[in-house]
Amino acid sequence: MRWRLWLLMAPALALLLAVFAVPLLHYLWLSTQAQSVLTGLLPEPIGAQQWLRLWNDSRFWQDTWQTLRFSAASVSLEMLLGLAIALLLDQPLRGRGVLRTISLLPWALPTTVMALGWRWIFNDPYGPINRLVAGLGLPAIPFLSNPAITWMAAVGADTWKTTPFVALLLLAGLQAIPADLYEAAALEGATPWQSLRRITLPLLTPYLLIALLFRLAQALGVFDLIQVLTGGGPAGSTESLALYAYLNAMRFLDFGYSATLLLGSFAILLVLCGAAALLWRGNSRLQGALR
Amino acid sequence: MARLLLLLWSLGPMLWQLVSSLRTSDALSGLASGGWTLEHYRQLLQGDPPFLTYLLNSAVVGVCSTALTLALAVPCAYALTRIGRRQARSLTLLVAAAAAFPAVLLFLALLELARDWHLANQLLALSLPYAGLCLPLAILLLQAAFADIPIELEEAALIEGMGLWQRLRWVLLPLLAPAMASSALLVFLFSWNEYPIALTWLSRTELLTLAPAMARIAGSSVYTIPYGAFAAATVLGSAPLIALMLLFQRQIISGLTQGAIKG
Repeated sequence: MRWRLWLLMAPALALLLAVFAVPLLHYLWLSTQAQSVLTGLLPEPIGAQQWLRLWNDSRFWQDTWQTLRFSAASVSLEMLLGLAIALLLDQPLRGRGVLRTISLLPWALPTTVMALGWRWIFNDPYGPINRLVAGLGLPAIPFLSNPAITWMAAVGADTWKTTPFVALLLLAGLQAIPADLYEAAALEGATPWQSLRRITLPLLTPYLLIALLFRLAQALGVFDLIQVLTGGGPAGSTESLALYAYLNAMRFLDFGYSATLLLGSFAILLVLCGAAALLWRGNSRLQGALR
Repeated sequence: MARLLLLLWSLGPMLWQLVSSLRTSDALSGLASGGWTLEHYRQLLQGDPPFLTYLLNSAVVGVCSTALTLALAVPCAYALTRIGRRQARSLTLLVAAAAAFPAVLLFLALLELARDWHLANQLLALSLPYAGLCLPLAILLLQAAFADIPIELEEAALIEGMGLWQRLRWVLLPLLAPAMASSALLVFLFSWNEYPIALTWLSRTELLTLAPAMARIAGSSVYTIPYGAFAAATVLGSAPLIALMLLFQRQIISGLTQGAIKG
């Protein structure tokens, strides 16, 4: 009986291993091999040299910083806006269902499609924002050509696309909170702000953390948006780790170093998401102890 | 007021694309006011290959990936709910971690797999990595749905002498329909939108799916100010998805929330 259950799982598990585990193990091996134009695209063992190169690669560290900056900004914006939208959609309003569907639309669009759309919206001087700015008599904003601004434009486009996902998740969390908790709090004379802080947020914590973990992992791997919206520019100021790894493989044909970069990105992801998960554990233990 | 803001925030950028796609290039660059045209759509639809090819390719890959994902995920999810708590827990944890993993980090190894197995430039072969990447979410969703079915139901069928296959087909699957619909829609959305793998697996223009085709349009400089064509492409590229969302919003929303919460 038992072996039959394993047999049922076997095809799915095999494909999962092929798609997730094999690539990561392959990278581990490839990161110790030089495989580039210089070696005729054949692997040659070179030990830890590429890891040293990674450590001394200023472009890697710059991209790490840029990826972290992008992730921190967009994820925190998405969490805040997502919470606000979820609270709004949780109110018994007219047309709530329609509003919920419409607000989810940006999430469903392909990233490359909407990135192309945003390129036009951010256009200088013909995009709608700059037309508005010009109408006010202000100088045009060089959204896509000024390194100090372009990364924020990317954050804006990402926030537009993924906030609905966060909002939807948090809305599900809000709807799981029993209404009589709020009624009891109101009877005790709690202000809306107090019931938000003392009831809503604590009970929403698991949902907030799931959304945070998921969004953080996705943001740290940002690729589609950057590649189409800015191509990593201007002057590499929006290049992400994934884009750098992609360029190494597909443009510089340096597969060994690309694998090293991908593993490096994975390590960063693991550390950050691991830290977030540990924080969650510590937090729930603390709350358990207080109770 | 807040509702209006939300509407504007969600729909504004899309409406701007729609309006832009219908304006003449001169009107877009402010040279002339007024001027409406279907020229940008005509260019896209008569392009080489016509834009509809990309949509069709995406649809084919989407349907194929969805079927493959469900065929693998349903038996796996069933077994996970029957295999005993300890093993199921650790397996589920791994699956949940895989569900959050950013797929782009896998592109290089998957590309080498495609080369070794001669899968590059084969449209249907894309379903393999897509199904693999979607399996975690589908398994989590279906596992939660299986767990909600009372075990007595299956025991009764067992007493009736139904085999495993019959029990799945006649007792469990009908009850699983909503969760299967949700997973199917999410898988379809994923494969419709997936970019890095399609970008590296496909090089022949007539095989491109929508996402890499959009990027190629973005990179082309055939037009002086090609934003009318860009806008028309974004409209045509998102219209099928918007239709899908409006038709199946219930299933998509329940799939999204269930998938994240149960996992």
